Amino acid sequence: MGVIKSVLREELSNSLRMKKGYDRELSKLPKGSLVRKKIKGHDYYYLLLRKNGKVKFIYKGKVSEHEVKKYQEVKRYRAKYRKLLSQVKKQVKFLRSRLRGKESV
Amino acid sequence: MEKNQYELCLEVLRRLEKAGVLENAVLIGSWCLPFYEDYFSGVDYAPSIKTRDIDFLIPQPALIKSKTNVSELMKDLGFIVGFKGREGYIVLEHPELEVEFLVPEKGRSFNKPVPLPQLGLNAQALRFLELLAQDTIQVKAKDITLTLPHPANFALHKLIVASRRRQKDKAAKDREAGLKVLKALIEKREIVRVKGVFSSLPVKWQAMIVKELKGAEETDLIQILKK
Repeated sequence: MGVIKSVLREELSNSLRMKKGYDRELSKLPKGSLVRKKIKGHDYYYLLLRKNGKVKFIYKGKVSEHEVKKYQEVKRYRAKYRKLLSQVKKQVKFLRSRLRGKESV
Repeated sequence: MEKNQYELCLEVLRRLEKAGVLENAVLIGSWCLPFYEDYFSGVDYAPSIKTRDIDFLIPQPALIKSKTNVSELMKDLGFIVGFKGREGYIVLEHPELEVEFLVPEKGRSFNKPVPLPQLGLNAQALRFLELLAQDTIQVKAKDITLTLPHPANFALHKLIVASRRRQKDKAAKDREAGLKVLKALIEKREIVRVKGVFSSLPVKWQAMIVKELKGAEETDLIQILKK
């Protein structure tokens, strides 16, 4: 029993380290996502983000192809990291509940 | 989850192979066990559970010619760079897998990461790893060519490491893996090979193996090795 618990404890510490890592990576990503609006046949971009609980559109005007791609990539990474972070959080929850339990693990 | 983990492992290996990293790396640790299955076909061999860690041994001096940023290579799979311990050993982390690089430790013990500039990472130096690098086999995992330690070296290394572990759980895991592979080798009639590797080891290392086998009450195995 002690052996399994010590394995779980190590897994918990790894998962907590990983959780911190994904939080760090998410905070490093630029905030918001680019939204394209077509006005009189021209493409204009707005940065859509949440500030103090409110959704804001910040006018960016015409942006380079490179920046559009950058924001697309950021969006992809944000989605991926959020999904993995939620997986890690589930692992942490599971491991904590197993370690708290009095029954043999 | 199991399947995802295996598929992710194959994808990591595929990318490392494509980048030319696998040519100069030996896959070690518990992930060798499933990849030994082909080697032990026809023998009673069932690999035990794999851990989340997937370890690569880079024999020194590292012969990797081209530069590869391994963390960039794995980034879109969701791997992030993590730092382990006070020393700051780099680990590529993912909820399913943790990729680590290791090098053999020679001379006086030092607790510092060894830089691997060719891979944009650092590695942890550990004792006895040269035993894993000195005799290797190649296996195919799907379309990937993998270099693994010869099972005899793997088994004896696991027993040495088990005898030095302070944590009982880890020691038990290492012992179990070592014994499993050792017994499969004997069933495969590779006793001469195992004895050859054993007798080539320094006397101290041999004593550690014998001590571990005694602890596990494997007197038959001790007799086979010492015969």
